[in-house]
Amino acid sequence: MHVQELILRLQRYWADRGCLVGQPYDVEKGAGTMNPLTFFGALGTKPWNVGYVEPSRRPGDGRYGENPFRLYKHHQFQVILKPSPAAVQDMYIASLEAMGIDLSKHDLRFEEDNWESPTLGAWGVGWQVVLDGMEITQFTYFQQVGGVDCRPVTAELTYGIERICMFLTGIDNIFDLTWGEVKTDQGVFPIKYGEVRQREEFELSAYSFEHADLEFHWRLFNDFEKEGWRLVSEFGHYLSAYEQALKMSHAFNVLDARGAVSTTERPGIIKRVRDLACACGKAYLANEAAKLSQEEKAEVAR
Amino acid sequence: MSETKTLLLELHCEEIPARFLKPLVADFEKAFLDFAGQNQVLPGGGRLSSSYSPRKLAWKVEGLLAAQPDQVETQVGPPQRMCLDDKGEPTQTGRKFAEKWGIDFAAIRFEQPAGKKEPCAVVTLTKQGRPTLDLLAEALPRLVSGLHVPKAMRWGTSEFTFVRPIRNILCLFGADVVPFELDGVKASSSTWGHRLHHMKHPEPVAIPAIDAYEPELEKAGILVSFDRRRAAIAAQMKALAAEVGGRVVEDEALLDTLAEIVEYPSVVRGQFPAEFMALPKEVLVTSLKEHQKSFCIEDERGELLPYFLAAANRPDDPEGFIKSGNEWVLKARLYDARFFFEEDLRTPLMDRLDSLSHLTFHRELGSYAEKTARIAAIASELAGRLGLDAEQALSAARASKCDLRTLMVGEFPELQGIMGGEYLRREHAPDPVWKAVKEQYQPIAAEAPIPGTDLGGVLALADKLDTLVGCFAIGQIPSGSKDPLALRRAGAGIVRILWEKGWSAVGPLELCRMALKPLGERASRPESDTLEALESFFRDRVSYQLEVAGYAGAVRRSALPVGWADLADLRGRCEALSAFAEDARFASLGQSAKRIANILKDEVPSDDLDAAKLQEAEEKVLAEHLSRLEASTDHAALLAGLAELSGPLEDFFTAVMVKCEDPSLRGARLSLLHRLRRTFLRVADFSAWQ
Repeated sequence: MHVQELILRLQRYWADRGCLVGQPYDVEKGAGTMNPLTFFGALGTKPWNVGYVEPSRRPGDGRYGENPFRLYKHHQFQVILKPSPAAVQDMYIASLEAMGIDLSKHDLRFEEDNWESPTLGAWGVGWQVVLDGMEITQFTYFQQVGGVDCRPVTAELTYGIERICMFLTGIDNIFDLTWGEVKTDQGVFPIKYGEVRQREEFELSAYSFEHADLEFHWRLFNDFEKEGWRLVSEFGHYLSAYEQALKMSHAFNVLDARGAVSTTERPGIIKRVRDLACACGKAYLANEAAKLSQEEKAEVAR
Repeated sequence: MSETKTLLLELHCEEIPARFLKPLVADFEKAFLDFAGQNQVLPGGGRLSSSYSPRKLAWKVEGLLAAQPDQVETQVGPPQRMCLDDKGEPTQTGRKFAEKWGIDFAAIRFEQPAGKKEPCAVVTLTKQGRPTLDLLAEALPRLVSGLHVPKAMRWGTSEFTFVRPIRNILCLFGADVVPFELDGVKASSSTWGHRLHHMKHPEPVAIPAIDAYEPELEKAGILVSFDRRRAAIAAQMKALAAEVGGRVVEDEALLDTLAEIVEYPSVVRGQFPAEFMALPKEVLVTSLKEHQKSFCIEDERGELLPYFLAAANRPDDPEGFIKSGNEWVLKARLYDARFFFEEDLRTPLMDRLDSLSHLTFHRELGSYAEKTARIAAIASELAGRLGLDAEQALSAARASKCDLRTLMVGEFPELQGIMGGEYLRREHAPDPVWKAVKEQYQPIAAEAPIPGTDLGGVLALADKLDTLVGCFAIGQIPSGSKDPLALRRAGAGIVRILWEKGWSAVGPLELCRMALKPLGERASRPESDTLEALESFFRDRVSYQLEVAGYAGAVRRSALPVGWADLADLRGRCEALSAFAEDARFASLGQSAKRIANILKDEVPSDDLDAAKLQEAEEKVLAEHLSRLEASTDHAALLAGLAELSGPLEDFFTAVMVKCEDPSLRGARLSLLHRLRRTFLRVADFSAWQ
């Protein structure tokens, strides 16, 4: 099993079950939940199913490309289903089989794990899905996003691509996974994960732990915040403002990896990101409501 | 006896968090018994049994009446004279009364009820009991939605909340399905088995009769009884550990959890590379437990073997994938643990001291750097008082919180102290120092051991005292069930350490004063208030310690009021007193002590006893006893002497009137009693003996 094949199978599987296939959002982020397709998609009443890959950066998890099990940047496959279908667990289990896991030979468990993202004002309840002792998916019923109750409730499935691929192949070093095969006139060249990503892991780990300029990042954090509030409060622009909240969050993660955030100031810093994200969520909902009432008026006029 | 039937209710949900299963089952039992009591459908309390698995909450109630008993009630109406006219015909009033209760006028009786002055209209009504099936259909949705769910959730488009989505309801009353519905799910006579079972059998599992419930589910791959699953896991683990010449490292709570997260257990034994055996045992056990919910295996000397035991949620491991999967994951985990360990070792532990100023201990009590400074002050003073090495106490205290900044404790908070000690040991710190750091959080539970080393005891006392006294000094005093910082446990730990170490140089209150000094400005309440609150707090803790130590009530009641500043002395007195706990002479002594206390209540007797003034034989005997008692130096001898005193004291009170006319004789008698009492009080306040 190759990394890219796994992604392709997941995309095919969920597209066949009525999901849009989305794309990663091109701003640094820690998790697929932060993609606007999920953050705004989970708000409001509109039916919304989407699946996509999200490269997720966790500066604190960087290991210079030396640890065979940990990455600065890993890939999540994220699926959200709104409202959560009654058969959501069965649909999820069938997706494992679509990836090539024969469940008649494995041990599958759903163990309590309640997800929470204080930077997004979001939380839900659910499980970590454990296959033969390994956590392969985070499964969550969103209860709140952007500080707003989810009505209806969205189900979120987050697959850890690298982990699942290692598990399926029995390879115990991420960098030895095969990303895919390059075919040229001269022959077939299997390309390793390490060839595609190892140098990046090294440099970005060094950046997060050693080279990142602290003053610069504090300045970024403050400036993104200012910019975000300007966009959302002056213009009601929730998407461009939300990008600023994502950038704040990443700047915070870099500072945190450098040990520049003390435990006492931590909650206050997180709250500043959350406040902006929540404001974006509210602006989005206000905009949706206005659109709806305009449509209704147009309906009446006709 | 009326016909009885059995009720079976099973809620089949998506996986319910392990920690909620038992409380939810118990909560429903209570609510159901209330319902059954109010409706009189469960005479004699019936028999209620429950079972649960990750996806199931199930209850069986035997002995429910098929229908409620008929309810007979008597209604009293207007007086007879108003219901019947002169000719004995019904009046308007009489007819209205009959109408009100829906009966013929002829069914009315006229009789004089108790408390009435004249005969009145009386009817006896029989309200037919309702079928229990109907009552259940009405009540069950209410009982289930009324369950206390700590972290309730919504799902889909509904506003219904529960612990996890309910996907099927099985509900039988005798042979009938109880007709009700919850959030769109209709009760039926079938349910679902293990997911593995349904890969081959897509249809639900029919439950033809209540007795068939457990066996049918077992056929469908689920052991619904928690006890059976737990026993199966324990037995398999024991056997698998024995195969490799070891025994399971016991952990009852982990065993409970495993039985709560599988529907049909089997245990697999895996192996991990020997290279990881270089990690401290605590790290291996914790990593296995926290990350993989796995047990370790140790040999008869308590050394770990490179194996682990994991429970799978199915009866077998057909291709060995489960074993190899768990081994694979564990290797990744241990790889990480070793990374943390090696990274941590790169920097001397003490280099983290400065960074503790960024780590908050308590908003009002400052950072861990401040706490460290206070612990150091307490520990070095205390070590000096106990004749231990104050320099070593100081270095142990200064190092004590540094491991909070290590990667390993960041990953496994429960390894605090243990890692600090391990790292210091590897840096060749003196044995007493690293051991003290390792033991500083002991005792970690009521039954757990106190620090083994004396310096460990000192550090553990200093740490607990600082937290306890600090919180009291800012007014955070535990009350009722509110004790968020577990101060009672800290207090009990302090008492236990002093008690079991037999340290008599300092008592709890003196320690508190010692801990109050370094708090300085951080203390926001007046010192006298803080100490007063601490005194009453510690009196309770000491009293509890006497109870735990198993002393009889009389011993505890009489020994404690004499003093508890020196716990070793208190313990000695309790031990000595216990020899006499059943002695009838001491009961008599108690009576006499009470009398003495009463007599002396308003007197100011002289310490000097002029024995020559005493006249009666009975009092002279007492005076002789007194001089012998006053000369005895140890508790046991004194108590033996006191036991001999009970008879003479009784004789004294029979023969002698203390408060006689002659002032000098009276003074001598009062002095005699006063000196006797003072002697008693060296061991116990006997007036509290009974």
